[in-house]
Amino acid sequence: MRLTDEELTARKRRNLWIALGLVAFIVLVFLTTFLRLKQNIEARKALETAAVAEAPAALPMDRS
Amino acid sequence: MSDARPKLSTAQPGDYFQLLKPRVMSLVIFTAVTGLLVAPGSINPLVAAIAVLCIAVGAGAAGALNMGLEGETDALMKRTRGRPVAAGRVNKNDALAFGVILSLFSVMLLGMNTNWVAAGLLGLTIVYYAGFYTLMLKRRTPQNIVIGGAAGAFPPVIGWAAVTGDAPWQAWLLFLIIFLWTPPHSWALALYSAGDYARAGIPMMPVVKGARSTRLQILIYSLVLVPVAIVPGLTDLGGPLYLGVSVVGGLLFLLLAFRLWRSRAGDQPEADRVHGGPTVGREAALYDVRIDAKPARNLFAYSILYLMLLFLALLVENLPASPLVCPSCA
Repeated sequence: MRLTDEELTARKRRNLWIALGLVAFIVLVFLTTFLRLKQNIEARKALETAAVAEAPAALPMDRS
Repeated sequence: MSDARPKLSTAQPGDYFQLLKPRVMSLVIFTAVTGLLVAPGSINPLVAAIAVLCIAVGAGAAGALNMGLEGETDALMKRTRGRPVAAGRVNKNDALAFGVILSLFSVMLLGMNTNWVAAGLLGLTIVYYAGFYTLMLKRRTPQNIVIGGAAGAFPPVIGWAAVTGDAPWQAWLLFLIIFLWTPPHSWALALYSAGDYARAGIPMMPVVKGARSTRLQILIYSLVLVPVAIVPGLTDLGGPLYLGVSVVGGLLFLLLAFRLWRSRAGDQPEADRVHGGPTVGREAALYDVRIDAKPARNLFAYSILYLMLLFLALLVENLPASPLVCPSCA
């Protein structure tokens, strides 16, 4: 099947935009993963800090 | 002899962009951003930007599904016959596939990026608009846009949920404003497009109940909408600016609704004055009306400005305390 010039040009443009869309999606997934990891690490650090701060108060209870 | 060769699509990327209903999308983005900024709590600016993008693409996907499903009907109406599927520039199945893929991508990414409450609400909005409204309500009842209007009211709730992970009553108050705003807005347009809707077999209120009943219902909905729109100004959501905008803007809305009620707009269905003319399928077709339909056109145009101003006032008042602008204020 021979495609007309108009069909070829339109297909090329659509393919280009599909490629750009997919690249954008990959970048967004990467950014999302990175941001979620960062948030989780910060949340874990905050929990650990809180646990350390509470630890001395819990010690006398443990000894009794 | 005719060319029997199967024709490959000559649709341009711009046609696919039109499938996303960019004008509707801009209102969705605006209300979603407001919900996101008004919500208490903190959110990373990049997470917020991706969330807004997901909501916009999700809303656009619903528009693409709507156009894919409604191509034949759209072709019968002046206002919509220039749309890509109706005009034959994009194949119906291509539009549907485009809508489904964007729906999946946007919901999935919003869930990963923020939380699954927001993603679930976005998914619900898409299904509600494309499935419930387009396929079931639109052709069955003159209350189609009343019930279907909920789809357009979800974006601020989704924006709010993206920050907090839940949807408290304040978020639903924003939902209620858009929900109550939709009937007077849509019916004002329908009053001077009734001929179009009748030709397409869509039972819009002016087609089924007549112009007089529609004008009365617009006034009643306006009388309910305006006080409800003032409520955020009496809560933590809005301040004096919002209160002023909602009161003054609301009074003007009521004045235009009252003038419309007193008018004869829609009594005589519009003739095909622009049938095949230069305004067909273009924005100008929304505002180019006969003199007796001007009260309807005025309310339709003002209703867009009114909603924009309400949400803009909320945005302006909450922006300084927003975690996006002032992280320590959250």
